[in-house]
Amino acid sequence: MKYFKLPDLGEGLPEAEIVEWMISEGDSVKTDQILATVETAKAIIEIPSPQDGIIAHLFGLAGDTIHTGEPLLEFAGEEDDSGTVVGVLKNESDATATDHFFIGAAPSTQAHSQKMTPAVRSLASRLNVETDNLQGTGLNGQLTTADIERLARTDRTHGKAEPLRGVRKQMARNMAMAHAEVVPVTLVEDADIHDWSPDEDTTIRLIHAIAAGCLAEPALNAWFDGQQLARRIHSKINLGVAVDTAQGLFVPVVRDIGNRSLSDIRGGLNQLREDVINRTIPPSELQGGTITLSNFGTIAGRYASPIVVPPTVAILGAGVIRDQVVPVTEEIAVRRTLPLSLTFDHRAATGGEAARFMRAVIDDLAKESIS
Amino acid sequence: METIFTTNISYSSYLSEAGLPLQPLPEWTHTPDTLVRYYRNMVLARQLDNKIIALQRTGQIGTYASQLGAEAIDIVLGDLMESSDVLIPYYRNHALQMLRGLPMADMLSYWGGDERGNASAGMGEDFPNAVPIATQALHATGVATAFKIRGEKRAAVTVCGDGGTSKGDFMEALNVAGAWQLPVVFIINNNQWAISVPRSLQCGAPTLAQKAVAAGIRGEQVDGNDVIALHESVNEALQHAREGKGPTLIEAISYRLSDHTTADDATRYRSNEELKAAWEREPIKRLQTFLHAKGWWDEVQETAWQNEVGQIIQQGLTEYLQRPPQAASDLIDHLYAKLPDALKEQRERLLRNARQGGNHHE
Repeated sequence: MKYFKLPDLGEGLPEAEIVEWMISEGDSVKTDQILATVETAKAIIEIPSPQDGIIAHLFGLAGDTIHTGEPLLEFAGEEDDSGTVVGVLKNESDATATDHFFIGAAPSTQAHSQKMTPAVRSLASRLNVETDNLQGTGLNGQLTTADIERLARTDRTHGKAEPLRGVRKQMARNMAMAHAEVVPVTLVEDADIHDWSPDEDTTIRLIHAIAAGCLAEPALNAWFDGQQLARRIHSKINLGVAVDTAQGLFVPVVRDIGNRSLSDIRGGLNQLREDVINRTIPPSELQGGTITLSNFGTIAGRYASPIVVPPTVAILGAGVIRDQVVPVTEEIAVRRTLPLSLTFDHRAATGGEAARFMRAVIDDLAKESIS
Repeated sequence: METIFTTNISYSSYLSEAGLPLQPLPEWTHTPDTLVRYYRNMVLARQLDNKIIALQRTGQIGTYASQLGAEAIDIVLGDLMESSDVLIPYYRNHALQMLRGLPMADMLSYWGGDERGNASAGMGEDFPNAVPIATQALHATGVATAFKIRGEKRAAVTVCGDGGTSKGDFMEALNVAGAWQLPVVFIINNNQWAISVPRSLQCGAPTLAQKAVAAGIRGEQVDGNDVIALHESVNEALQHAREGKGPTLIEAISYRLSDHTTADDATRYRSNEELKAAWEREPIKRLQTFLHAKGWWDEVQETAWQNEVGQIIQQGLTEYLQRPPQAASDLIDHLYAKLPDALKEQRERLLRNARQGGNHHE
């Protein structure tokens, strides 16, 4: 056997405390040689070796509690596991600087520490198993020896999973939380932008249109607290602008878009984009958004179902601008159109509010010019 | 006032703690055969006992009741009982059961939680282990009653501890054995401890053997660490039973050198001094000294036997560990001659969901 797991030393005893090790790592032991004394709720007991072998690892020090069924020690040279290569990887991943970036206005989530006993933690570290997001099958979701061994097996068969870190990890968490919490409705519409001058700044026009939408329907420029069932309608519009990077999704916030000049907004936006790409953006610039713009149209895609990230209640997605054949006063015409997708949280806003917001947005976008 | 009844309780012993004769020895001890056999069997019983405790500590067997210090009682009983006699044991008679034909692997299976150990063909008509305290004493009187009704010259033999003698079952069994003059032999392995209750708190009477007096049966004390004394008492009791001369209660004075079971820690309630003193009286060393003095046993034989014992144990152990696990459906299969529909469904579900290859000694 590779791992000698603590047997039930009494009649249904859940654990034992190591009193003393009689052997050390690297020692050769014989069957029935005393390895350790442990103390259970009932007795102090000497544990003999179940086999001849060399001790590779002890899963605990004197004073540590080992649960029944958890590894007490490891014998060397038995049944291969992931070995030293993975050990190197582990050091690497440890050395990776923790990313403090987080997305949009979402409350920051503390890295939650997994519940497991020291012996299981030690086993996980020994097998270099990433436990951060692993759901335990033990009592109250605790990770068990079996959980760790199962994952180690999967790693051996399919290669090690790349753990998400930093921004990407935060994105995964925020999206899962949003999916679990928000009641989303997505409304799609095309804005007719045929009358724009050829050098119009699409992003600035979208920002301007969102400000117009918020003015017409303030209910979408709001924060919603699903637990208290309370909403906070903002007078200032702080627009989160989704920025795609290799590291993941960033949503820097352009402040007060309703009251600033367009050139000022453009300057601020450029600065934010640059800071994101250079990874010099302070976390405070990623917080406090009240509504979000996702302009995926710079890449591809017409409509989408963007995700609202609490506590905000609305996000507008802009697709690729295209020429479309449309009827205009009973004539067939080719018009430049901008496809829009608005997702709103139906807990916080009504369909009417969203539609009125959308109406105001497309009306603003249809204007030939805004300056 | 006149005295209408008096009695004496005898205590017999032949070998001192130092292995020296205390009185003239019976004739059967004048040749080595029986005593050497006793010695060899006790050594085997003790090594096996140590091994089973190690198996428990490494998760390869369940809770186990050690026989350490009680080897002489089992070994002598196993030698003197006829195969036609019936043993109604308690949970500390593994060596006796094996001498009566229970294969080691079956014995280990029982302690490994596998019921098939109780269905061993090697058990003959012997009863399975009684874990409830002293219930076996009544079972033994039932067996003995059957012998008596059939007119068979057989003895029922049952063993309990000092704690068991405080149970109503024990007193009832003694009473009916005396009332019906049954062919039964009651053995008390008085090892001084009933889990953590010492003999001094167990009973106000100076001997446990005298409980026989109230039942109107023979009762005596014997040194339970002395195979010669045990042999004499047990032999006589068995013959009495088989010849229809009535039951006997033998209180064998021993000492539980082990914990009560592997789930116990005697150091919490028992002094080291007491244990150390008891080791001076244990049965194996005493007989070894005697055999050495007689020139019937030496170091060479000792080493050879120790090695052989190691192999015997390893063989039984291997057989036990390699035994395929019990089918999960065994839980249900032996309850009814014809399985009710509700249980059929449960049985199917059980077989579907049972962890394949699940085993106590995984």
